[in-house]
Amino acid sequence: MAKEMKMTKVEDNSAGTRVKRGVLTVVINFFLWFFSLTCIFPLFWMLYSSLKEKRVFNKDIMSLPKEPTLANYTKILSNKDYRLMQSVGNSARTTILSVLLIVIIAFIVGYILSRVDFILNKPLYIMFLMGMLIPIHSLMVPIYIIFSKMGLSNHWYTLLLPYVSFALPMSIFLVQGYVKGIPTELEEAAAIDGSTFSKTLFGIILPVCKPILVTVAIINVFSCWNEFSFALILIKDRALYTVPLGLKQFTGQFSSDYPKIMAAMLITMAPIVVFYFAFSKQIIKGMVAGAVKG
Amino acid sequence: MLKSIKPKKWVVAAYLAVPVALYVFTVFAPLVAALFYSFFEWKGGPVKTFNGFANYAQLFSDEVFWSSFWHNIFLVIVCIVGQIGIAFIVVLLINSKVTKLQGIHRTFGFFPSTISAVCIGFIWQMIYDSRRGLLNYFLEKIGREDLQKVWLNEPGLVMLLVSIPLIWQFIGYYMVILLSAVSSISTEVLESAEIDGATGIQRARYIVLPLIKNTLLVCITLCVAGNMKAFDNIYVMTSGGPGYSSMVMAMYGYKVSFEQSNLGYGSCISVGIFVLALAVIGGSQILMNYFMTDSYDRREAKHLKEIEKERKQAIKARKANK
Repeated sequence: MAKEMKMTKVEDNSAGTRVKRGVLTVVINFFLWFFSLTCIFPLFWMLYSSLKEKRVFNKDIMSLPKEPTLANYTKILSNKDYRLMQSVGNSARTTILSVLLIVIIAFIVGYILSRVDFILNKPLYIMFLMGMLIPIHSLMVPIYIIFSKMGLSNHWYTLLLPYVSFALPMSIFLVQGYVKGIPTELEEAAAIDGSTFSKTLFGIILPVCKPILVTVAIINVFSCWNEFSFALILIKDRALYTVPLGLKQFTGQFSSDYPKIMAAMLITMAPIVVFYFAFSKQIIKGMVAGAVKG
Repeated sequence: MLKSIKPKKWVVAAYLAVPVALYVFTVFAPLVAALFYSFFEWKGGPVKTFNGFANYAQLFSDEVFWSSFWHNIFLVIVCIVGQIGIAFIVVLLINSKVTKLQGIHRTFGFFPSTISAVCIGFIWQMIYDSRRGLLNYFLEKIGREDLQKVWLNEPGLVMLLVSIPLIWQFIGYYMVILLSAVSSISTEVLESAEIDGATGIQRARYIVLPLIKNTLLVCITLCVAGNMKAFDNIYVMTSGGPGYSSMVMAMYGYKVSFEQSNLGYGSCISVGIFVLALAVIGGSQILMNYFMTDSYDRREAKHLKEIEKERKQAIKARKANK
């Protein structure tokens, strides 16, 4: 009886509460939409402003374009001197290779550290874990010195080294934690069937680890595509510029032509934006997993 | 049942050799190199002269370096309050029953954190621009042209102005982390609190907050570590200017090493960044652990320790008697 009383109290539908609830609904949704729109607004602003000419834009920076034109895009895409598309290619290559290497290495090392009992297991684990603490910007100067002394700067593979290394600690940690949760019966059965270590590793464990490897890949796609500071110090050759460097160069050149800069930014952002909106659910899930467990 | 799989030793060695070598080469070798070169006067040419602790003496009295350190600390504090605070409020709003289209808010909110810091820097540079910027445009529209400024040229304001893009970019990041923590709180707890008459704010303070404490700690740690390495936005927006009024440690290290090509002192600054960043991260951990365990828990822990001590003494006494 008492319980029923309480239930009716909660579902009180008198006019007063309904109004209160209605106001609350409007206020909360209004604030959330305000927040969401401020997050997405710059993208829209850039999208429609990039369709204007410089002259039109400078007259009124907010208005929608009356005569939308793709001139900015055609200029950027047709002019080889801007090297913007080249930088997109460089970034794509660097990102894909880095992520592949990160996933493979993190998988192998993470698996070995979590399952194989050998004398260096603990020291290696601690060594990789320590990497998560190291503030990487303190490595900028010495990495520049070492790389230029050994002639490792300015190659297509230059950026793979730091990108892979800096991503390893967290990726290994994620894989290691995941493998711990897999029952050892799998490997025992394989061993009884006469499967070698490598065969078990790639034939049996790899498919089981797919979810965590996808997470590792997602986290690192963004960080590799967007990385700026190490590219800045290690790459001086314009033909090897990645997207952030290419953009920096481009905006320096056209610092007063905002619509053109916006078009350039959108072109270089396009792959990552499409990737994000296509897989946003998995991407957000992966990022959360990486942040919380890492 | 075997506890671990036993491959041959050379197989393990073969698998680990390349990753470990790569890792040591790009992470630990540079640390050693930075320490080594920090004892030299070296302008990048063939001549290096050993000068003992002169670089460190210079570093300790270098006002620019210390002001950039405090700028980093400023960013850390502003971003903890701004990013995690706003993210927490947004999470509470998204989780309320009357909210519709939660998925869209999450997707839109997270979007800025997927964009490169360089792009974010450019976008906000366009917003702050004095002649064609959005900020001055709005001030003009609401009739407050007297407030218009060349925003990024104001030494007193510039740190706040460069921290706004940082806050804006990562609210969504902390939002999705907190959202996953909050959604794991069982609805029964919240509903029973609601039946007992707890208001929304009370529920947030006394139920949600304590239950997501650990996630909050993770967020704060990420925030501290992230802002100790602030570089990209600031490089794009101000390069530390005007003067040194928005200089941060990484930016200063870059300037000294590559624009003044003073690699010896630059290495010394790198060592400084390394030590200070670790100290701040470690210090923040200790502080958080202290504040997050409330006084009751502390008394409890002390009490347990005393009991344990007495027990051990009793065992010892009994053994001695035997």
